[in-house]
Amino acid sequence: MLLREVSYVRPGTVDEAVSLLAEHDGARALAGGQTLLNVMKQRTASPDVLVDLGSLDELRTISVSGSSLEIGAMTTLTALIGSSEVEVTRPILAEVAATVADVQVRNRGTLGGNICVNDPTNHFPPLLVALDAAMTVAGVDGERVVPAEEFFVGVFETTVREGELLTRITVPAGGKGTGDGMAGVTLGAHGTYVANAAASVVDGTWRVALGCVAAVPVRASAVEEALSGGSVDEASARSAVAGVGATLDPPSDVHASADYRRSLAETSIVRAVLQAHERARG
Amino acid sequence: MTTVEAQETTLQKGFVGQSVPRKEDRRLVEGQGVFFDDVKRHGMGYLHFVRSPYPHARILSIDVSAALELPGVYGTLTGDEVAILTDPFFQIAAEPGGSIKDYALAVGKVRYVGEPVAAVVAESRELARDAAELVMVDYEPLDVLVDARKALEPDAPVLHEECGGNMTYEGRWEWGDVDAAFDAADHVVKISELHFDRFNSTPLELDGALVEYNRGTTQWTITTNNQFPGFAVIMMAPAMRVGTDKLRMVTQDIGGGFGNKITSHPQLVACCLLARKLNRPIQWTEWRTDFHQSMSHGNERWFLDTEVAVTADGTMTAFRTKALDDAGAYLRYEPLGGVIWAQVAPGMYGWRNIRLDFTQVLTNKAPCSPNRGYSRMQHLWFTERIVDIVAQELGFDRVELRKKNFVQPDQMPYETPNGCVYDSGDYPASLDLVLELIGYETIEQRREEAAARGKLLGLGIGSTLDSGTNNFGQSQLINPELQFSGNNEVATVKLDIFGEVVVTLGTTPQGQSHETTAAQVVADVLGCDVDLVHVRAGHDSYWNSHAGFSGTYASQFAVTGLGAVKGAAEMLAEQMKTLASMVFQCPVEAIELADGFARLADNHEAALPFMALGAIPNANNAGFPIDPPPMNARFVYRPPFDVPDKERKFGKLTLTYAMQIHACVVEVDPETGVYELVDYAAVDDCGVRVNPKIVEGQVMGATAHAIGAAMFESFTYDEDGNLLTPNFYDYHVPHTLDMPPLKTGAVESPSPFTSLGTKGMGEGGGGGIHAISAALQDALRAAGAPIVTDSHNPYHRVFELLRHPERARAKVEVTPPSLQAGRPSGGE
Amino acid sequence: MSVTPATSLFVQVTVNGERYEREVPARRLLVHFLRDDLDLTGTHIGCDTGSCGACTVHLDGVPVKSCSVLAAQVDGASITTVEGLAGDEQTPLQRSFAEHHALQCGYCTPGMLMSATALLEQNPTPTEDEVRVALQGNICRCTGYWNIIEAVLAVGQNR
Repeated sequence: MLLREVSYVRPGTVDEAVSLLAEHDGARALAGGQTLLNVMKQRTASPDVLVDLGSLDELRTISVSGSSLEIGAMTTLTALIGSSEVEVTRPILAEVAATVADVQVRNRGTLGGNICVNDPTNHFPPLLVALDAAMTVAGVDGERVVPAEEFFVGVFETTVREGELLTRITVPAGGKGTGDGMAGVTLGAHGTYVANAAASVVDGTWRVALGCVAAVPVRASAVEEALSGGSVDEASARSAVAGVGATLDPPSDVHASADYRRSLAETSIVRAVLQAHERARG
Repeated sequence: MTTVEAQETTLQKGFVGQSVPRKEDRRLVEGQGVFFDDVKRHGMGYLHFVRSPYPHARILSIDVSAALELPGVYGTLTGDEVAILTDPFFQIAAEPGGSIKDYALAVGKVRYVGEPVAAVVAESRELARDAAELVMVDYEPLDVLVDARKALEPDAPVLHEECGGNMTYEGRWEWGDVDAAFDAADHVVKISELHFDRFNSTPLELDGALVEYNRGTTQWTITTNNQFPGFAVIMMAPAMRVGTDKLRMVTQDIGGGFGNKITSHPQLVACCLLARKLNRPIQWTEWRTDFHQSMSHGNERWFLDTEVAVTADGTMTAFRTKALDDAGAYLRYEPLGGVIWAQVAPGMYGWRNIRLDFTQVLTNKAPCSPNRGYSRMQHLWFTERIVDIVAQELGFDRVELRKKNFVQPDQMPYETPNGCVYDSGDYPASLDLVLELIGYETIEQRREEAAARGKLLGLGIGSTLDSGTNNFGQSQLINPELQFSGNNEVATVKLDIFGEVVVTLGTTPQGQSHETTAAQVVADVLGCDVDLVHVRAGHDSYWNSHAGFSGTYASQFAVTGLGAVKGAAEMLAEQMKTLASMVFQCPVEAIELADGFARLADNHEAALPFMALGAIPNANNAGFPIDPPPMNARFVYRPPFDVPDKERKFGKLTLTYAMQIHACVVEVDPETGVYELVDYAAVDDCGVRVNPKIVEGQVMGATAHAIGAAMFESFTYDEDGNLLTPNFYDYHVPHTLDMPPLKTGAVESPSPFTSLGTKGMGEGGGGGIHAISAALQDALRAAGAPIVTDSHNPYHRVFELLRHPERARAKVEVTPPSLQAGRPSGGE
Repeated sequence: MSVTPATSLFVQVTVNGERYEREVPARRLLVHFLRDDLDLTGTHIGCDTGSCGACTVHLDGVPVKSCSVLAAQVDGASITTVEGLAGDEQTPLQRSFAEHHALQCGYCTPGMLMSATALLEQNPTPTEDEVRVALQGNICRCTGYWNIIEAVLAVGQNR
């Protein structure tokens, strides 16, 4: 409930932020704080320096550029929900954001923070993998762009290194023939996910990603192959997921055994796929 | 069958019975409530407990030197000091449980993860927390016992060596002729295992205190939220080797209790010792994780090898079972749970032959103590499971089976096989009302409609009792040496010098609206407006308005607290009339209290305002040939109880029996086990409702707790003794989006045993848990008809029932098999 | 703005219309700052994981959990707590809570009022579902929420 002693600084520009992160050992970026501060309260992580990104307005913009939706990493979930750009280009992002926790958390919690935490039960890692998003990471030597699938590296771990900062998430804008879906089981309404799957179809090509079953989102490639280019309905979706559970090695915890998670994973894929299919047709 | 005189209520029709707005609300909606953590004292030190990371270990050494060196640290306390300065807490249990040595801090051993081992006090909360990390404790881990069913095995780790084993209490509770009833039965339904899970009510405010020590008077002032100060002081004073008057207990606003704030006395003693040692006020606020790991878990209870005797026409004549109760690592209020269930031994039903073998054991988990519905809820869930399972297995309609076996209204007051008396109630009519509210006639149609959407719909009924106003003499049934019996509560009512009506209570409300309901009663007795009655907030032992059982617990305020208030108000009313008669020189009978005056009944012009009456004894008492009455009354309400018969375990254990019947409709997703509550109704009968809106609020709160316990809430441990749900991340409690639509109904069957016709009613009895268990079982009839044998049914458990109904079905056996039972559909 | 990390910072913040200036440890949570440093004890603490919402306040007009914000982060900001809702009179929402028995122990009530006030400022006539969503981050253990939802809806309908 009470943090260890820590140093705090609030830079005014991204460059200042990156310098501070590079210069101080044990420095961590403070985005919305909804996860990081609570982890620090438990004292399971105690960075020496907090670099507060709260003044970096340049990281809060949402824009459409060509066929991409560019979302600043410090965009709050509330801002995502209220964004007309998101609504027009990739509404699934807003729909999913609206199911994260509660209003207070969404007012502070950011898209960048949600994915940098990479808690296996978080909403956005599997979704962004399914949407084929790309993350822009800034360091003292410049920027690099990482595809979503390579961004997530381990439990609570991403490819963002010490001295680097996630600045932007780029999501392909949807269009005709695009449909997205996300389904799963949560601990109570709008609660933490126990199992989930995100599915996205673009002109008949499928991307399906599972959360909650491994350290990082898992692409269900067998399902993608089975569905791509063919007709999709409940029967074909069920047939596509058959056997997927057996390929997974999900954790067991107080909310679900490994076997229950396997079964929920398969069911979640079917439901996410059917949702995406409906929207692609509509 | 005992005959009892019904007490007439002497109240005029007035504020009692109306939903008068609450006096508590103004300060609470403005954020001006005073909860203990809001209170500050100059120079106070913040206390942080060092807690055991091990579930079972010897303490080899504790080194506080590094903590003491941290600037800003005021001092520390360890178990060694506690063992010198205090004696072990009094134990309610007889041997072997009575041998437990329980202190304010762990002495020699730790027995559950989170057990306080040392305390550090510093000038800020953060520093105290930092310093606690510097305390070095050397532990020698021991083997861990987590499963109560293994507690009595020969090689089980023993928690308290002084007890010689892990059994703290065992006893056979038997009435009627059980064997004969089984011999005569047409069917015997056997259920091998039923399990009521471990959870509690997680009040939003945590435990804590601000403790000050006065070196001049050697007295402590403890500003806290402990909800049973009478019990706390009885425990603390002898342990601290001081008189009870040295412990002044003060409460004002308390953020929920539900029974979970009864056993904070060990931590309070640690605070007291530090306040004296360091000569400064000590501030302790528990954290959510501390609470989940260490405070007041509800009793986890197994019912093993249950057998129910049923005749061909559906009369349930007998049951026998073995109840195994998991008390956790210490007995704080236990083993009272071993007798309190007996207040409702046959539930709402007419069983005359009962045998229950009760065994309570220790495990390396948080100590149990009362939780909303304490010990009756577990037993009532058990009786409801029996009724539902018997109905399903023998092919009876579960509504008809209930009505047939209910205690009937014309049997009230009804003496149960063990001598408890159900005061009043119309269970069949209440059941009809809840069925009407839930739309019972449309259930089959709704079931079909849900099936078309791929969902399994089920309706469950959960009937339950809320027994209130304990006879503490029942404690002698588990320990004949105890000197506790009866019950009491105290109130004072006075007129101040300017005629203000001031009321003090002995209770410690945590949201039950005592200030409001007490004012309603007083206003009706004194014939004045409810706004003129000022009820002091909370409890303060300096008011001398309390007795040994004072506090707020066990669904009794409407009887004990309001009984005391009514008694004191009536005494004051007599004094006021007497004084008015002295002034007017007329007989007392000629005076009435009405419209805020004491006046001549046949000449309203001759009237004295309360101010006149208050002024006389306070400031203007010359010239009276005899003493004018003091305008100050103190009344001790005592319910009419005898000490129960210890031989037969027979007698009145409780004064009143409120009742609730819940009905719940669920829709289950057969693919995932996820289910939703799509409709819900609850009917309550608590006798005369002093304030109907407040009563309904209690019913709603009890419903929400039950929904949480059924669907989400469990204190689950892994096999290494770690609590897997130590905070709100994993211990999910219902939020707004989890709540079903709710209809409530009320029936009023006044109690013939209380001065107002009221019955205590706050706890509720867990009706929602029973209803949800039943609804799931009903929904799953179409999917292999598993029986529901757990009170806690999260999605993963429902999934298991769907996947393997045969494993649940293996727990039930009917001999001989009924020809009447319908075949369950779905494979077997 | 300094770019040197510090363990203690000077914070200027407006709370309920009043300006405060304090030196605070970097690690101090906003809720402790409000309760312990500013003696505004109406905002409550009910958990240690940012889950219960009893600590909800308005930060620059928007409801947030003050246990999940550092005091250092509110330099230059404007905060409203429950003590700042009533002026000379209680708000219609505060009165509605009392009328509808939307509180029992009162411990969750400040947080509920802050969340509901923010909703009504943004959406004066919310639907029942919108009310539930707005209050999803506030745990109550006494009321079961039904009366709280009614109390908020009643204010909406009166507009």
